[in-house]
Amino acid sequence: MIKLQDKTYKIFLVIALLACALFPSIASGFWIRLLTSIFLYAILAQGLNIIAGFTGYAAFGNMIFFGLGAYTVGILMVKVGTSFFPSMIAAGVVGIIVAILIGMPLLRLKGHYFALASLGAAEAVRQIMDNLTDLCGGAMGLTLPQMAGKPAQVNQSFYYLTFFLLLIFFAATYTISKNRLGYALKAIKANEEAADAMGINTTRYKIVAWAISGIFTAIAGGIYAYWFTFIEPATVFDVMIVVKLFVILLLGGAGTVMGPLYGAFLFEGISEIIWSRFLNLHMGILGIIVILIVFFIPNGLIDMVRRGFRLKTILDTIREEKV
Amino acid sequence: MILQAVLNGILFGGVYVCIGIGFSLVWGVMNIINLAHGSFIMLGAYITYTLFTYLKIDPFLTLPVSMIVLYFIGYASQKYLLNYIIRASIFITLTFTFGLQILIANVALLIWTANFKSVAPAYSGEGIVLGGLVFPYIRCAIFIVALILTYLFYLLMTRTKTGKAINATALNLEGAKTVGVDVAEIYARTMGISAALGGAAGALISPIMTITPFIGGPLVGKAFVVAILGGLGGTMGAFAGGMALGLAEQVGSFFFSSVYQEAIGFIVLVIVLIFRPQGIIGKRFY
Repeated sequence: MIKLQDKTYKIFLVIALLACALFPSIASGFWIRLLTSIFLYAILAQGLNIIAGFTGYAAFGNMIFFGLGAYTVGILMVKVGTSFFPSMIAAGVVGIIVAILIGMPLLRLKGHYFALASLGAAEAVRQIMDNLTDLCGGAMGLTLPQMAGKPAQVNQSFYYLTFFLLLIFFAATYTISKNRLGYALKAIKANEEAADAMGINTTRYKIVAWAISGIFTAIAGGIYAYWFTFIEPATVFDVMIVVKLFVILLLGGAGTVMGPLYGAFLFEGISEIIWSRFLNLHMGILGIIVILIVFFIPNGLIDMVRRGFRLKTILDTIREEKV
Repeated sequence: MILQAVLNGILFGGVYVCIGIGFSLVWGVMNIINLAHGSFIMLGAYITYTLFTYLKIDPFLTLPVSMIVLYFIGYASQKYLLNYIIRASIFITLTFTFGLQILIANVALLIWTANFKSVAPAYSGEGIVLGGLVFPYIRCAIFIVALILTYLFYLLMTRTKTGKAINATALNLEGAKTVGVDVAEIYARTMGISAALGGAAGALISPIMTITPFIGGPLVGKAFVVAILGGLGGTMGAFAGGMALGLAEQVGSFFFSSVYQEAIGFIVLVIVLIFRPQGIIGKRFY
């Protein structure tokens, strides 16, 4: 079992940390941007992980936070003239508020129904944003001011910003996984009625989980808005984002702390390779990869490393899940 | 005029019933949310397009072909793929069907390209006017065929051996195995039937919709709403759900602007989920 206490693992993490910190000084713009986007995906996946992986509520509508976070930053910077950092904080606050607002009715639903209701809510918000042309450009999108500075500096700034937030959010997730909140969430995932019977206030903890998920996702949305400088409802409320996040969670291991990061690295890495070589087929290949992952490593890489790469383990997993 | 909106709601409802009925079947029996259902419909539409454009066959007559081809596709997907992961968590089956959906979309993209295709038989756009209300030919035909298909499906589920086996499996998996039902085979047939109904839906919507490889996504979205509104309880459920969605959209856009059509659909969905998750008809099984 790989535990955080393991000496080798700790050393590995420290080296990886240093490598990431020094990365921009040795790599070109393309790689810096690639890593920045991997970090963003990791943050998003970690956000989803808290509500879906830890608590067991498959929030298919999580991009509602991404989109609203992006638009908060967009509207504040363009219409009100606020600078980036306060806007980003505002995005986080919006994430919390929205999570509470939609969490209260929706978190009563279970399983598939919750997944769909959250998707429905996100789609409804997308359509509404599509039509708020005066406030934020509607379907034509919103253009944000660019960060001042040369491209290389801008790349580095976003790299370090995302890296820094990644560290904070992952540290927070680690803390959660070890404290009462984490135990409550895992209990809810294992058996919600039992958790309730044991005295865990499931409603409160679920809303807290979704609020945390909302903060991570909304802030990531805010960063995305400032980074890309152009947002429109069709892209920032796109359900494909969340589907990719689910694949990342599957790859890395839902319910683990580091899973989202490994999953993001692997997924983006594969995506980049496929995109650059097989433009015509990249969807089909992604589809095949998803199918293969679901078949052979349904519990994620971390679990697979734990259990060993033997063929027998794979076949056992399949046999467990067959009809 | 509100009567026209109600009529349109009923006619559109026919389409939605078709789209939703196969999806609802798989969900109710196997607890799988088949995101690939949209691509089954898309394939059905492309098959009709191909037959219509190259062999000049009327779209309504291509229905059997679409249905048979899609039956085999659905059957094979279940028997050789889905059956192996069916007891895993909902993330897994959801993600799997998603992977299948984009794979099928890519295949369609390679075969038919992304150019918009359409099926326009000679009588499209025409209709008759009765009592001040417009009855477009194609929409009425779709509605009637939808009714016939729903009835045939009902007969299948209640009178045939396969249908009864499907019901039994949905009600009690262990019990069905105990009495000798080959569950794997029944699941495969269920998916086959679902895909066939999807193919029929595709053939039916081909004259009223532009066809691209990417229509699968929005279509499966509609299918969700139909399944939930109507409840997973039986043929009547899908029928009620389709009609409800059609009416909600048409009458809703009569009162609010039509740009909010989809938002209305989804808000209705969320309300139904909160207050009556079992849907209008609502039983747990077929």
